[in-house]
Amino acid sequence: MALDLVVEHYVLLSGLIFLIGAVGFVTRRNVLVQLMSIELMLNSVNLALVAFNRQHGGAMNGQMFAFFVIAVAAAEVAVGLAIVLQFYRLRATVNSDEADGLRH
Amino acid sequence: MDTSLMSSPGVMMLFGLSPILALGLGGLLLMLAEAFGRPVVAHALEAQAIGAQPAGPEGQIVDAGAGRAAELALGAAVILFAGAIFSVALWLVGPENVTATERVAPYLLIDRFSVFFSFVVCLGGGIAALLAGGYLPEHRIERGEFFPLLVFCTLGAQALAAAGDLLSLFVALETMSLGVYCLVGLRRTSVRASEAALKYFLLGSFAAALMLFGAALLYGATGRTDLAGIGEAIAGLSGDGLEGRAAQILIALALLIVGLAFKVGAVPFHMWTPDAYEGAPTPTTGFMAVAVKTAAVAVLLRVLLVVFADERLGSWGTGWPPVLATIAVLSMFIANFIAGRQESVKRMLAYSSIAHAGYVFIGVVATSRSVDAQASVLFYLLTYTVSTLGAFGALILAGRYRAEAVSYEDLAGFGRRHPAAALAFSFFLISLAGVPPTAGFFGKLYVFKAAIQGELYWLVVLGLINSVIGAYYYLKVLVFMYMREPKPGAPFATPMRSGYVATALVIAACFVLGLGILPDTALEAAVAAVLGG
Repeated sequence: MALDLVVEHYVLLSGLIFLIGAVGFVTRRNVLVQLMSIELMLNSVNLALVAFNRQHGGAMNGQMFAFFVIAVAAAEVAVGLAIVLQFYRLRATVNSDEADGLRH
Repeated sequence: MDTSLMSSPGVMMLFGLSPILALGLGGLLLMLAEAFGRPVVAHALEAQAIGAQPAGPEGQIVDAGAGRAAELALGAAVILFAGAIFSVALWLVGPENVTATERVAPYLLIDRFSVFFSFVVCLGGGIAALLAGGYLPEHRIERGEFFPLLVFCTLGAQALAAAGDLLSLFVALETMSLGVYCLVGLRRTSVRASEAALKYFLLGSFAAALMLFGAALLYGATGRTDLAGIGEAIAGLSGDGLEGRAAQILIALALLIVGLAFKVGAVPFHMWTPDAYEGAPTPTTGFMAVAVKTAAVAVLLRVLLVVFADERLGSWGTGWPPVLATIAVLSMFIANFIAGRQESVKRMLAYSSIAHAGYVFIGVVATSRSVDAQASVLFYLLTYTVSTLGAFGALILAGRYRAEAVSYEDLAGFGRRHPAAALAFSFFLISLAGVPPTAGFFGKLYVFKAAIQGELYWLVVLGLINSVIGAYYYLKVLVFMYMREPKPGAPFATPMRSGYVATALVIAACFVLGLGILPDTALEAAVAAVLGG
């Protein structure tokens, strides 16, 4: 008995994951968790792109877009982790609220 | 003219893409030169020889490219100015005559609009490279990777202004942003730099993710990823098709505006701006303030005027103009009030760049009423680029290692001690304040004129009020430099000596004065560069 899944379900799921990521980014203060939240947001976009591609078909633009998003997300994490590591070395914390040395 | 050469599509293709290719190839070469060049450790040895602290907080990391900042800066400046010169050449031939570049459309659109922005960001990047050539060695930041990164960031900015597809838009945006995150955190041993980089990275990636979701929604609503195709598809929606997709398109519009306003650094998406600008090395700050902002405004214009040009979305009742007008007013008022209360000159300049984003947005709002308003935005961005880099350059010139110009107090009596450096600083601040005969005056004049033509009188009045508020904190620097003396025993700034910084300031000053006295040529170019003109 196949579950009758349509494109809208995937898009709704993608929106939900995106919201979870966005709320996680805003509410959590651990930099690593915030990075993971951003990844969640990017991956929800991939899901939406692939689902929409199924709806529109044609030139496979959505699938191609998703590949580029994956590659860029990898590069972003590489830079992000380097920045987090540098911050951790200097401050011995991964709490983004403690990045307050620039406030006067 | 050799017609056989000019008619060859391959050659014309190379010519059409030459500004972008020059930066791409040049950046790769620079990276090789940096990686294989012999590091110069003379500075570290010298520090040990004179008994200076051997493991100080800064500049003790010796790696490839160390001590080579001057050579690499020259290389980067040559590459970036070459990009600017190629842009001018392409402009003179006319991008519309180089039809071979249609093969890279819609991913890269080589039109007058993108060539204009290519010139502006290459000019900004080139001046920033020269400033870094003086700043990095002086402040013991021996990191040669600054220059390849700077070139690649500028490449991203060029590509962003030329992007005609959501895919290339996203990739170009990230190319630009990822490099800038690294440039901000360049001073690896500084807590402030690492905090600045962390904040900018987190908020920047968050904004990019928001924008990307907006892009995915647009693709879902229309089935297209090229901006022109999406615009047509939205214009063609009606009846049931519109009912189902209106919410999706409006959410996409909101997400795209939020993401790009983050990159521009406009209120209320400016939280990262002062911290990132203050913690970054000053040449990076200058680059962020001009090239990143300029490219983000360019792509914002293209998105609004190509994708959301539909009369339902571009109207004052239901579309983006009131949103952008609100952002413009908030940016001007909030940034100007906070800027006036700053003690650090660099932080003041950071808030001033937010206020300038507000002035730019007045012009962007006016584009909903007339095509000519685009020209005022383009011209404003050119004048803003040279004035802002000049101001940051003068701030760099005003301080040497351990005698930097940070607060207003540091600059007390500066005009009497170092008249030439103080004069340069005053000149660029006057241009930022918008006093004739400088470039800044005409920049503001044309933006306000465009807003008047669009019958947005209230925006013009608010803009003028803010110009007056803004003049207060620019003139405060002048008051400190010329009318105050440092308190006894207080530290004061001593200017550095660097041919690079001096050259950069001369180039910026030529543009500021040239655009201030003869704005016609540049203005005609801006008018020719408008989208859909």
